[in-house]
Amino acid sequence: MRGGWAAAQQRLAAIDPGAYGRSRNHLDGAVTALSPFIRHGVLTLAAVRDAVLGRITRRLDGEKLINELGWRDYWQRLWAQLGDGIWEDHEPLKTGHPAAAYAAELPADIAAGTTGLACMDAFADQLTSTGWLHNHARMWLASYVVHWRRVRWQAGARWFLQHLLDGDPASNNLSWQWVASSFSHKPYIFNRANLERFSSGRYCEGCRLARRGCPFEASYEQLDARLFDLPTTPRRR
Amino acid sequence: MNQPLPLQQPILWIHGEALGPSNPALVAWPGRPALFVFDDGLLSSSGLSLKRLGFLYECLLELPVTIRRGDVAAEVLAFAARHGADGVVTTAAVDPRFAAIRAAIAAQLPLQVLAAEPFVELADAAANQQQKQTTTDLRRFSRYWKRAEPLVWQRFSG
Repeated sequence: MRGGWAAAQQRLAAIDPGAYGRSRNHLDGAVTALSPFIRHGVLTLAAVRDAVLGRITRRLDGEKLINELGWRDYWQRLWAQLGDGIWEDHEPLKTGHPAAAYAAELPADIAAGTTGLACMDAFADQLTSTGWLHNHARMWLASYVVHWRRVRWQAGARWFLQHLLDGDPASNNLSWQWVASSFSHKPYIFNRANLERFSSGRYCEGCRLARRGCPFEASYEQLDARLFDLPTTPRRR
Repeated sequence: MNQPLPLQQPILWIHGEALGPSNPALVAWPGRPALFVFDDGLLSSSGLSLKRLGFLYECLLELPVTIRRGDVAAEVLAFAARHGADGVVTTAAVDPRFAAIRAAIAAQLPLQVLAAEPFVELADAAANQQQKQTTTDLRRFSRYWKRAEPLVWQRFSG
């Protein structure tokens, strides 16, 4: 992805807010890739806001994209309040595990993309080779790091900030905290069905763990029991 | 207290949160010498990838700026001295790192900080009146969005 005003204008001209709202959770969805330009102020949020509002004729078509711009504004406002406090747990984790149960460093196989999990290795490779990852892939990867591998979110957050072209300490760290559960009511997890659906099964197809040994192949209830140390309560999604 | 004199020939400090031609300092002071500094301290502590630096560099190539690397405040002050500047103009930033740099510059030269247009302006007047809080409630996104969303959509004419 190339930087600069001209590249930003091309991206901005190509946005389709309605399609974004309908498809953004899918890896092939109509995402805008505006985040690196917004993060570095090549485009202001106000300029993107005006572009979205000018592009649509029905409010419904712009609601999701405007909402995501709101998230960016929200994280920045929180950063202004919290300062370097965004590197600390905003609230206690809701996983049932003590903070000491989480490793301080990112395991080498995750960083190198050699876990053997086709999905996670592909995400690590894309992160380090292109500096961009779809938001859903970021969430899956973060959840894997924190909950399956039980690593402190800060280690993953530092790794993302080294590579993401849109790497912004506020959006990044607070989203990691949202996944970890120090900034949400419950930890974020996913399962294989969810990942397969929003990636059209492209990773599972060639994964040597697809038939046996996939750590994501389970119901949410089973994963809750396996990953967390909590009293059993039904999970709603 | 005396009002500070308006700046006559400032230099502009451009930073990584405002790398577009709509940067308010560039707009307010067209033609004035402008500087961007790759922050040595940040580069060594954060391990930013070459791709990230390349992206910043590509943004900078389209702006009328001089590019340096080193201690940011020291480089800005040296650049100001070289141009005989009577002050420094920059833009607002959220990163607390920039607050420290602004303070180091302001200790030596008058500093003017300009803000870009906000995404949404949240009036905190009502909250202040009730003396319940002085800042926007940011405990969860939903609380912020309940106030912000209607204001954003006021701009939509359909």
